[in-house]
Amino acid sequence: MTEEIFYATIRELGARYRRRELSPVEVTQALLARIERLDPVLHAFVTLTADRALADARAAEEALGCGDGRALLGIPVAHKDIYLTRGTRTTGGSALLADWIPEDDATCVRRWREAGTVLLGKLITHEFAFGIQFPGHRFPPARNPWNLDHIPGGSSSGSGAALAAGLVGGATGSDTGGSIRGPAAFCGIVGLKPTYGRASRAGVLALSWTLDHTGPMARTVEDCAYLLQALAGHDPADPASSRAPVDDYLAPLARDIRGVRIGVPRAYFFEGIDPEIERAFEEALETLRRLGAEVRDVQIPSLHATHSFLLILMAEAFAYHERDIRQHPELYGDVLRERILTGALVTAAEYTQAQRIRAQICRETADVLREVDVLVTPTTLKPATPFTLAQDPDLGFPRSNMPPFNLTGLPTLALPCGFSSSGLPLSLQLSGRPFDEGTVLRIGHAYEQATTWHTRRPPL
Amino acid sequence: MTDPQELTMEELRDRIRAAGVTIAEHRLAMVRKLLAEALAPVRVLDSRTIKTVEPAVTFSPTREAGND
Repeated sequence: MTEEIFYATIRELGARYRRRELSPVEVTQALLARIERLDPVLHAFVTLTADRALADARAAEEALGCGDGRALLGIPVAHKDIYLTRGTRTTGGSALLADWIPEDDATCVRRWREAGTVLLGKLITHEFAFGIQFPGHRFPPARNPWNLDHIPGGSSSGSGAALAAGLVGGATGSDTGGSIRGPAAFCGIVGLKPTYGRASRAGVLALSWTLDHTGPMARTVEDCAYLLQALAGHDPADPASSRAPVDDYLAPLARDIRGVRIGVPRAYFFEGIDPEIERAFEEALETLRRLGAEVRDVQIPSLHATHSFLLILMAEAFAYHERDIRQHPELYGDVLRERILTGALVTAAEYTQAQRIRAQICRETADVLREVDVLVTPTTLKPATPFTLAQDPDLGFPRSNMPPFNLTGLPTLALPCGFSSSGLPLSLQLSGRPFDEGTVLRIGHAYEQATTWHTRRPPL
Repeated sequence: MTDPQELTMEELRDRIRAAGVTIAEHRLAMVRKLLAEALAPVRVLDSRTIKTVEPAVTFSPTREAGND
């Protein structure tokens, strides 16, 4: 089986299944062999579910034989290991839950299962989606397929690494301060943080109720659209789940972007940016202009207060972990324990003020999105961080371009827009109005079709 | 004179005592940095300039359940 199969899109795989050129069992067997070969170095998987994958693949093959037309039928996926999986351990990347086997699936896991996907396993996450694994941790951290000395981003680190390495066709991620978009950016893939309330969080380990989002990660924008289509929709088990109708996310991809109004909020998003990313970003804007978009600068003054999001995140994380971290502090990694305990030091008034700042950012951003259709920004300020820096316990929590869209809950897509001179991926971030994933995906798809960044493969 | 926006080590220790948590002495400087950077936007805030009070619950008259 040639390498192109490992990087095939969902539409390509589905078409080849239906032409009987490939079978889900063949693809699954080939992927399991590839994982066996590459993952001892990459550490993307924390648990491989080979038997389950082959059973899913056989069921998909049978359904295909009966003319089943589901788009995700036989598509190989894996879940970030904070998504609960019935009968399969869910570690949260933590020694605390290292052997925990849940009795129920997360809603997102169930929805992809019902869509006919093949479950290859569970993907490593930064510990409880908040603290990178340091040397000596129970679970080793995933490595970036583009350069093994660099992190793949976090916290959906295994998801980013597995997709870039051609080990899965789609993966779940979660995003509290950029954990879908950061790994997408660092690994040269696509990640979509949907609108807050669009994809269920039920059965996913919490980090911060205000900021947590679930969503799909893939290698193309179209794949993200397919994967979101199967995830989206109201879930009574998630109190934040929206009843807003689910759009068709595939149909808008066929439309061009002439006349689309793009806003670029220059303040905040370019402070401390790597010159190579800034150059790639400006070139991406030129491409969007050539495609017919109208690009202009916009202002969102309150974004300068974005870093207060960390007060919300840490205070809510402490509330969630308080009992376990008081009873079993030794089962938390040192830096994660420190971050969570810092949440205990935030006063009620400070938490409330941080929420009020969030409301102000939401209001100002909504005002701007009455004048433009989307905001475009660089996803990250720098390319993938080397482990030597990321594992410095004194690094703290650096400023980032992603939290504004956790605070506002807006749908935000990260997609490749270039490479650094050292061969690391660079990324563009598109944010739209609430529940307007369709427009975000449409613009991302148009840009992707006009460029070739998504076709490059890491040197594995 | 101490900058009112600064988080002093003494204030940090007070907060740790009040919260009843334990943080290793050699990590206090890091925790202070983490908290001070997150607090900075709040400490410069004039709360009178922000009109919205959160969290606010809203109800849609068109739906029987939910608030969206």
